Amino acid sequence: MKRITMLLTLTILTFGLTIVTKTAAQNVNEIMKKSHLAYYYAADDGVGDVTMTITDKRGKERVKEFIMLRIDEEDGGRQRYYTYFKKPSDISRLTFMVHKVPDGNDQRWIYVPSVDLIKPISADDKNSSFVGSHFSYEDVSGRHWTEDTHTLIGDSTINGTDVWVIESIPKKEQKGLARKLSYIAHDSYLPLLENYYNKKDKLVRVFRADRVEEIDGVVTMTTRSMENVKKGGKTVIEFSNIKYNTGLDKSIFTERYLKNPPRKYIK
Amino acid sequence: MMTQIRLLITGLLLVMVALTVPLKAEVLIDGFLQNLQGARLDETNPTATELTASETRLQLRAEHFGDAGEFFARLDFVYDGADTGTYNWELREGYFKFQLGSNLDLKFGRQILTWGTGDLVFINDVFAKDYQSFFTGRDDQYLKAPQNALRADYYTGLGSLSLVWTPQFEPNRLPTGRKLSYFNGEEIVGESQLFSSTVPASRFDNGEFAFRLNRTIGSFSSALYFYRGFYKNPMGVEMDMSGSTPIPLLVYPKLNLYGASIRGPMLGGIIWLESGFYDSRDDVDGTNAQMPNSQLAGLLGFERQVATNLTANAQWQVEYMLDHDLYRMQNETAGMFVRDEIRHLVTSRITKMLADELLTLSGFVFFSPTDEDMYVRLSASYKYSDEITLAAGANIFDGKYEATDFGRFQKNDNAYLKVTYGF
Repeated sequence: MKRITMLLTLTILTFGLTIVTKTAAQNVNEIMKKSHLAYYYAADDGVGDVTMTITDKRGKERVKEFIMLRIDEEDGGRQRYYTYFKKPSDISRLTFMVHKVPDGNDQRWIYVPSVDLIKPISADDKNSSFVGSHFSYEDVSGRHWTEDTHTLIGDSTINGTDVWVIESIPKKEQKGLARKLSYIAHDSYLPLLENYYNKKDKLVRVFRADRVEEIDGVVTMTTRSMENVKKGGKTVIEFSNIKYNTGLDKSIFTERYLKNPPRKYIK
Repeated sequence: MMTQIRLLITGLLLVMVALTVPLKAEVLIDGFLQNLQGARLDETNPTATELTASETRLQLRAEHFGDAGEFFARLDFVYDGADTGTYNWELREGYFKFQLGSNLDLKFGRQILTWGTGDLVFINDVFAKDYQSFFTGRDDQYLKAPQNALRADYYTGLGSLSLVWTPQFEPNRLPTGRKLSYFNGEEIVGESQLFSSTVPASRFDNGEFAFRLNRTIGSFSSALYFYRGFYKNPMGVEMDMSGSTPIPLLVYPKLNLYGASIRGPMLGGIIWLESGFYDSRDDVDGTNAQMPNSQLAGLLGFERQVATNLTANAQWQVEYMLDHDLYRMQNETAGMFVRDEIRHLVTSRITKMLADELLTLSGFVFFSPTDEDMYVRLSASYKYSDEITLAAGANIFDGKYEATDFGRFQKNDNAYLKVTYGF
């Protein structure tokens, strides 16, 4: 009889624990999903001016200025990006377009106006640098939350904002990355801090939301940075003139407008 | 005539700029200042100078856009010290661009034109190329020579139709013997016999017409092409009988070109396929020994990123000459080089970026196993700062015969250094 009681208790306990763990897992996945949407899918479309300051490990600065347009086809799903470079001079007027396909391969094109050339770019490596910065393509367009296993580590605060501390481990082996610790704001779901660790569990990269503002009712990171702690160097991305839900047309994200920048948005 | 047109267009553009500046201070001006020095590596090259380049270039770009449309100009001022020391300028681009209705884009004026899928290999892109620039280390943008043209692009949900009309034929710019030697049909020559050719007379029906139908199918981009005009290289010979003795003139034979292409993602990279039929209208049945035979051309290419910051591609081009028997007979009789009926060309480009993408190393090889010739382009470019770029490179040619596409330039090996200040 005692045995049966014990067995029963154990079963109930195990079952109960499973449920608890499952709920926690669901919650943490839900947080990461909401965070992804808040970060990468704000509103239905967005337009903004970007100043990117790349500081190398010797402290030398390089500045790129561009205009970015984005349209979401579906929250958490397909997106289209359009980038028009203004500075430096050697890449001015160059345009770049991405059709992001979360469950497949993105399509990327650049248009080089000085030779009137549209060139598709093979988009195999999401970890390669975005225009020579410390951000990778994936950092800029977003890593889908289902690609990692997330664990809620606990709560903390960053500059007075309550955050969840979440550990994410890639489901598929990833070069140079073993885990990521994200500090996600309770109120806006934006990641205020991300620490990337390599396989030796050394901190290699740090992402920071340096400035968060509310624009058109959307809580937005207007300044963000990525620091390479291991090799040195840092990139700061500052957004200005952000506008949401401007009614961008999907047709703008095609070869026609890649060659002919839509002047309504690009000045 | 050409100079007058050039002056007229430039004058108009300058007036436009002058007019728009005080009205709205919205003309954006930028550009670069560049110095390029290059020297031949083959001392037997019979050119007029041992420098393949020695030039200081100022490029000014002006842009203005409003609700009606936009205007863009790119003007180059060059001091060329390689030969005798000359000062020159060229309007590289100067056009107006606007939308008519919601489906039609129009662009007219001096412009750079490109289409087709190949990487430095062209089948359906018969817009003017500048091989003088290409072979001497100028920036990639100079491979394309501008054309004075009217371009219309009509877009529908099904695809787009493009039409380019170039009223005055614009030939390729080929080595002339001053800085680069060339093959005159018998031997490689330089300053002793400067290259000259005769362009078709300026008449409406001597204009160039290029059409393209473009359609996206899934993630693939497909196109059909048609061109009516002339070979861009002087591949024909005509006798000038006006004087007391007949003088052979190099001319640009009539050409119709029909083609198709498709390009899209595959196997983690980009694949492209292009074909074309060169219909030599001055030698339809291959009987005219002075004119090129018709030919078929096909191209297959693939590019992918093989490692982080390392991209590689490979292309294979095949050209099949029609009526080769007749051609062989004609050339053997004349004691001239006989090209194979089928010409193969393989190319490969490898690009490696280092030091946070500030240093770019690039190699491009053209190799023809049938012509037994090759051309190698090497370059290293370093972005010292946002403004300053330093570059070094080399152009190496080799060939068993002097008459083949790259063999004819085999004495033009050169190396160059380049400094660019962008503003």
